[in-house]
Amino acid sequence: MSVPVDYYVLLSMALFCIGLFGILTRRNALMFLMSVEIMLNAANVNLIAFAFYHGNLTGQVFALFTMALAAAEVAVGLGIILVLYRNFRDVDVTVPSAMRW
Amino acid sequence: MATAFEFAPAIALFPLAAFVIALVFGDYMPKKGAFAGIFATAGSLLLSLWVLATVAGGEPYNEQLYQWAIGDQIGFHFGILLDPLSALMLVIVSLIALLVHIFSLGYMNAEGETGLRRYYAELGLFTFSMLAFVFADNLLMAFMFFELVGLCSYLLIGFWFRTESAPSAAKKAFLVTRFGDYFFLVGVVAIAATFGTLSFAGTESFPTAAEAAIDNGETLFGFDAETWVTITGLLVLGGVIGKSAQFPLHTWLPDAMEGPTTVSALIHAATMVAAGVYLVARMFGFYAQSPTALSIIAFVGGFTALFAATMGVVKDDIKQVLAYSTISQYGYMMLGLGVGGYVAGVFHLMNHAFFKALLFLGAGAVIILMHHEQDMWKMGGLKDKAPVAYYTFLSGALALAGIVPFSGFWSKDEVLFDALIVGLEQPLFLAAYAMGLIGVFFTGFYTFRMVFLTFHGEPRTDAARDPHPIGWSVKVPLIVLGVLALVAGVVNLAPIGKLTGAEITFLEFWLDGEYGAIEGLTYHAYHEAVPFAEGYIGTETVTMLVGAGLSLGLALAGAGLAYSLYNVPEPVPHTEKLGSVRTLLRSNYYQDEYQVWLAEGLTLPLARAADRFDQGVIDGVVNGVSSVSLFGSGWIKRIQTGVVTNYAALLVLGFIALLVVLGLHGGWFA
Repeated sequence: MSVPVDYYVLLSMALFCIGLFGILTRRNALMFLMSVEIMLNAANVNLIAFAFYHGNLTGQVFALFTMALAAAEVAVGLGIILVLYRNFRDVDVTVPSAMRW
Repeated sequence: MATAFEFAPAIALFPLAAFVIALVFGDYMPKKGAFAGIFATAGSLLLSLWVLATVAGGEPYNEQLYQWAIGDQIGFHFGILLDPLSALMLVIVSLIALLVHIFSLGYMNAEGETGLRRYYAELGLFTFSMLAFVFADNLLMAFMFFELVGLCSYLLIGFWFRTESAPSAAKKAFLVTRFGDYFFLVGVVAIAATFGTLSFAGTESFPTAAEAAIDNGETLFGFDAETWVTITGLLVLGGVIGKSAQFPLHTWLPDAMEGPTTVSALIHAATMVAAGVYLVARMFGFYAQSPTALSIIAFVGGFTALFAATMGVVKDDIKQVLAYSTISQYGYMMLGLGVGGYVAGVFHLMNHAFFKALLFLGAGAVIILMHHEQDMWKMGGLKDKAPVAYYTFLSGALALAGIVPFSGFWSKDEVLFDALIVGLEQPLFLAAYAMGLIGVFFTGFYTFRMVFLTFHGEPRTDAARDPHPIGWSVKVPLIVLGVLALVAGVVNLAPIGKLTGAEITFLEFWLDGEYGAIEGLTYHAYHEAVPFAEGYIGTETVTMLVGAGLSLGLALAGAGLAYSLYNVPEPVPHTEKLGSVRTLLRSNYYQDEYQVWLAEGLTLPLARAADRFDQGVIDGVVNGVSSVSLFGSGWIKRIQTGVVTNYAALLVLGFIALLVVLGLHGGWFA
């Protein structure tokens, strides 16, 4: 119970960068979704760490909300991916590019 | 007990109601809406007489009825000002309008004109505008109805819009008067901005404020107060010169003869043209503060009186002669007002309203008799065949020429008398007086040339030998006005009053507020404010007799010359002996030509330059902005690749850029 808050921040930063890297390099929509989840959880880690650090429960409550939100987001995201697959026989995010200039 | 003033708004609203009724139901009504107009103007006349009686009972009225807009410094409102001047004018306008409506039954309905619904509707609107203009209690309201009067005359002059000349005459009338009104509008704004009020009467009025400013030696907008009053007064005078057809904006009026003759009667006698002179009389307290403005009014008036009279000498069309006589007579009114003869100017305005309405309606009767022929050389000998038209026309002609004892003599003589006594002390005004005096000779000549050519001698065409009969609706207005033209002078027999010492100058008492008036709006107040000294040849009576004798002698000389030249069985065009002078006069001193030249040589290039500036610079900037953004967005839109990864990368890059900017701003790297 003496881990300084710096380590949590480093952890959350590492998680966030992993997620960001995934989003920028992967073409598979499922990997995209996973990367987004990792970034969300990086934020969660931050929230809980600081809540603990400040002795204030608000951050933890927010983390709970974020989880619920993430679950909902996954449901919607998976739905989108299913439709993507049905239309393109593929889940590559670079293929559906009709909404451009 | 209801007073007349509670019904005063109805004086103007009756004709407005007639306008709406004639416009909506005119086609289904007997006489196409004429009765609506007749009843409305009759109602207005009765109410006006009631108002006149109440004002005579010593009760003037000055009330704001409706607040239109209120600012920090100034409020704009609509109100009614009923003092001796406006009450008198209301009676004149509604009387002439009523008679014109009745005459129209004979002139328009009986002649099978089409578009009568439009005619009566416009006539109603015209009467409404003029009546509302007359009782306006502030300059802004007056300006609004002044413009409405201009619009209505445009509509009515262009009544026969399928002909070639009427629409162009209507446009000319509108544009020329509009040109003057432009100055008027600037003047209204200047007065409002200077004095913070536009009211004509009361302690909070702009003439009072102007007087106070001059007395206190204030500096207004970088000028001393009197100069500024002169400037604003002259700006307003621009509107007057346009509407009252004074030189150099008189050119629209002869062309306005393209309208129906009844409309000409209304325009010339009581509404459009009278509005200008009435405005000067209405705000006379303001002009009285500025000797310069008054001198300009007097000179423009005197010059116009002579100038227009000379052109009237050579016209062959009966309506053209009358048109130039109108310009000339309004010149006399301006001359009278300009030398401080407020009573004389208003007196002549009143008499002129009667005899000019009479002459135009008489000319209308002649046109009916002649099966719509207006050339006097094709008439002749109508005297025996249409005695009512002849004798009433003769009464109007004697009044116009200024032959004693007809009304025109008394008022014109008073105008000239006032000009003479001022001129004896200020020699500059003698020139204006001389022009007016010479104008009397020409007036006598062209008036009787017209009478003799039209009614005397042998009939010169088949139409003149067998005239079309005229009905009661034509005769009644002629008789009423004929009597008025003869007797209207008795309201102010100043010369007789001076000779006998009898107190019979009733109009002067009336305008002087002896029967009740608003403080500061009386002849006395004006007379004290006017800075011109008066001189006499010997005594006042001698001066008066000399002036009257001169003008009467000249009028008789003109009439006598016309008698000897044209009262013969077979008159010949004597004016052709004038040679090149005749050409000059028939071309109206090339006024139209030089105005067209000004428009084409000056205004058009200016307008082209403005257009080029507008199209090139203003539009160029706007178009440039849009083409730059169009071009730029053509390139920038390519970042919308449709690939989600790219968007994510842009988001991240943007976020990093924001962080860096905030960091630099916040001093992280300092």
